Amino acid sequence: MLLGGLSATALAPGFAFGQATNEIRIGAPLPLTGPLAPEGRKQKRGYDLWAAQVTKDGGVDVGGRKLPVRIIYSDYQSATPRGVQACEFLVNQEKAHFLFSPFGSGAAKAGSAIAERYKIPMIAPTASSVEVYDQGFKYLFGTFTPNSTLTEPLAKLVTEKAPDVKKVAIFSRNDLLPLSLANEMRKSSAARNLSVVYDEKFAIGTLDFAAALTQMRAAAPDWVFVGGYINDLVQVRSQMRDLGMKPKVLTMIAGPAYEEYIQALKGAAENVSSAAWWHPSVRYEGEDLFRSTANYVEVFKAAYNGDTPDYAEASASSAGAILQLALKKAGTLEGPAVRDALASLNVRTFWGPVHFGATGQIDSLTPPVFQIQEGKAVVLVPDEIKRGEFRFGIA
Amino acid sequence: MKTLSSSPWIGPVLALAGGAILAFGLPVLVGDQAYLLRLATQLALLVTLAIAWNLVGGFTGYPSFATAAFFGLGAYAIAVAQQAGWPAWSGFLLAAVLSALLAAPFGFAILRLRGHYFAIASLMLVTILKEVTTGWSDLTGGGMGINLPGAGGNPTAIATVALETMVILAAAALALSMIVAKGRLGFGLACIRMNETAAMGAGIDAPRLKTIAFTLSAAICGLAGATYARWIGYIDPSDVYDVMWSVRPIIAALIGGVGTVFGPVVGSIVYIAFEELMWRNLLTFGTGALGVLIALLVLLLPAGIIPGILRRRAS
Amino acid sequence: MSASLLAQVLANGLLLGGLYAAVAAGFSLVWGVLNVVNMLHGSAIVLGSYAAWFASARFGVNPFLSAIVVGPAIGLLGWAVQRFVIQRVITAPVLITLVLTFALDLILNNGMINAFSADYRKVPPVTGAILTFGPIGLPLDRVLAAVAGVVVTLAVHAYLNNSRLGRAIVAVRMDRETSMLMGVKVEHIYAVTFGLGLALAGIAGCLMAVVFPISPLNSSGYLGIAFVACVLGGLGSIVGAIVGGIVLGVVESFGAIFVGPEYSVTVAAVLLIAMLLLRPQGLLGRAGYE
Repeated sequence: MLLGGLSATALAPGFAFGQATNEIRIGAPLPLTGPLAPEGRKQKRGYDLWAAQVTKDGGVDVGGRKLPVRIIYSDYQSATPRGVQACEFLVNQEKAHFLFSPFGSGAAKAGSAIAERYKIPMIAPTASSVEVYDQGFKYLFGTFTPNSTLTEPLAKLVTEKAPDVKKVAIFSRNDLLPLSLANEMRKSSAARNLSVVYDEKFAIGTLDFAAALTQMRAAAPDWVFVGGYINDLVQVRSQMRDLGMKPKVLTMIAGPAYEEYIQALKGAAENVSSAAWWHPSVRYEGEDLFRSTANYVEVFKAAYNGDTPDYAEASASSAGAILQLALKKAGTLEGPAVRDALASLNVRTFWGPVHFGATGQIDSLTPPVFQIQEGKAVVLVPDEIKRGEFRFGIA
Repeated sequence: MKTLSSSPWIGPVLALAGGAILAFGLPVLVGDQAYLLRLATQLALLVTLAIAWNLVGGFTGYPSFATAAFFGLGAYAIAVAQQAGWPAWSGFLLAAVLSALLAAPFGFAILRLRGHYFAIASLMLVTILKEVTTGWSDLTGGGMGINLPGAGGNPTAIATVALETMVILAAAALALSMIVAKGRLGFGLACIRMNETAAMGAGIDAPRLKTIAFTLSAAICGLAGATYARWIGYIDPSDVYDVMWSVRPIIAALIGGVGTVFGPVVGSIVYIAFEELMWRNLLTFGTGALGVLIALLVLLLPAGIIPGILRRRAS
Repeated sequence: MSASLLAQVLANGLLLGGLYAAVAAGFSLVWGVLNVVNMLHGSAIVLGSYAAWFASARFGVNPFLSAIVVGPAIGLLGWAVQRFVIQRVITAPVLITLVLTFALDLILNNGMINAFSADYRKVPPVTGAILTFGPIGLPLDRVLAAVAGVVVTLAVHAYLNNSRLGRAIVAVRMDRETSMLMGVKVEHIYAVTFGLGLALAGIAGCLMAVVFPISPLNSSGYLGIAFVACVLGGLGSIVGAIVGGIVLGVVESFGAIFVGPEYSVTVAAVLLIAMLLLRPQGLLGRAGYE
């Protein structure tokens, strides 16, 4: 035991760095290995793109000086405790001025306590649950609106366009975000007198959905709502096809926003509806370094051999862009001053209008509802960026 | 008259005293170095789990993978108890008692299996508890996880208390392990490990002794889980029932020396140091590099550090 | 609950079972002959799936055909791993080989995440057709994959019983010491068996790629399937793997209906523990080793 204490103490000083004020140090704990690796790597692409663009522009404007940006990554192996440890490590040992939160609501919530303690502004690019933000913390800011902002416009659209849709089936992965989405969906259904005829969860890591879907088919729903991640959703969709299930409306969150979803399913992706916090086909003009959504998509494609950015990647880039705008406004790297600048920010960006509410969660964004039509995601709501009409039935 | 050094109680007493000194000395020594505080707590946690595992996997020779099951159960026990408004001490008690109550019958049943069969059956307990915890969302919050009341308090105070509790727990586990090793239980377990059939023939009640070891081990894991939950403040099923909670203690014990009293302690220190180095220096191959390291250790030093040193001294 | 629903669920379960048999066969063989629980097995299956995806995306070859090359290639890798790495500790306690293969799994899995950027991939449908028998619908791809899984497994069984090398493997499995005395080079047999086990994993990976999306994260799920199917059917028995796989597939499917899809793994785990305690020799087959 004694040895343990000593070796831990001996290990540390060698790693401590002096505080460098000639660069902006941002700590970014990411799940680069483990179950969340696909998401972690997406986020990294978003951050890297922002940092590369900053370098191209000669740095970030802070109080009249142009400072270079350094993002310090740390892989927390998809384990939340390690994510918290990474936050502390990045602040304590790597002397990060700012933090981008770990992935998802759970880890962001756990990590935000570290940011609060050290008065380090933290931007969460992938946390949507309101429970993350109602802890009374002042240093946490999130670029995702609450989950209800995804299900409500969908329910409104469907009931308006198809009053004959009465029976809803809800099927969700037993995991933080999908459960929360299913919950909101239940509320949205109840508010519109839709009857929920099937309501089940599936375990994380489920490979095969045939049995559950067979049971769902027997309930004959008009509207099937599935919450999960891309691997689950691709499999659920192809097995629905195998079983000949053709509900009038099929909604899936959060896979169809990813290009891989359409690639994997080809024709079977047609008419699947979804909602996301952002979509490459939205059109915003901004004061940030990317200037507009269209330009952001172009820059992204050029950097990543033609890939189209999805909301996860764009949100990561927007975290950088938003921080940059706040730094310009604050004119300093001091945590409290930058925090105040973030709290009072009211700007337009490629991500959309950015303003943070009292809890730190963005309240100025309208998530688009979209549908896969002819192999492309077509925005249906909101009206300003609408590109098509809702179509019913699936292949 | 017994000399001081041969008294069976001197080791455990020293371990507890050393633990107490460390527990209250470390926070003062480390001071505001919050990251070191965290690392030290993690080390104490791993030491505790490795010692607990060693009671079954080392002394008895049954490779258990159930550590994560009792760890998670303990974490959820205290979380649910505290949400219901119970005081902290009763939450700890509940964690230990529940783990023991589950371990006794389950252990009795599966300890009839040997080798890989036992390993797999014990691993399945982790899967079952994880899914039951996830499914029983009225009580546990399911996949949404659970917040421990008071988690929003002063983080430095929480970290300090967590370190103190964890180190004392580790010291207590070490003391217990010493007592077991020197006592009748340890002798019985050693006989079982060497040749269970012969041990039974010699009148050792193997099922009973194995179950006692398994239950003791589970109670310690439960307490470690409870301490962990209070420290982290937010738990969800995939975090606390992560199989790595079963695997890391085994590897720590393997590094130090399976079946020795101090092996798990030494092994945990080496393991945490390696893990930290890998993690800091290799961004996307941290897990793989850990695999390389474990493979090398197993190939080059299969008996572990402590037996390795003893052998060298003997020759 | 209608009869047609139950019939559909049974059909789903049987098809799933055929795939599970392929997943479990190689694992069971290695465990039975070498007494090694090969934690690498799940990742080897995923590697096979990636190879099938690569063949499909790059050369337009469907997974049923690419399995012919992928299986032996991964088998060769397995042979080398056994010959040069695992063989060094083959006589050590079970825990050592378990931890060693676990470490190898960490390396392979992390390597795959880096090499394939962890994105999900899917091989396009081979036929895409659906067979319908009254109220029951069966996707043809799945039927073909399940049948191929069972056929490959049976072929290995026939090989073990009829070829010289195969009989040597069986002999080592039955009694290592005696077969050594009879001139069997056990070291060689071990390497070949491990290679055969991983070749089966590679083929299973190709078949899984027909049906499921591909990701390094699937490996632990595949390993779990192999565990349960292997214990159900009886250790080391190839035919047992088929029986175990099919029973698991059917039980899981009905479990999802009667207990709920969130507990499908629990159902399998409870089944496994019950099986270990009540009938450790498996549904068929003899008692395994300790």
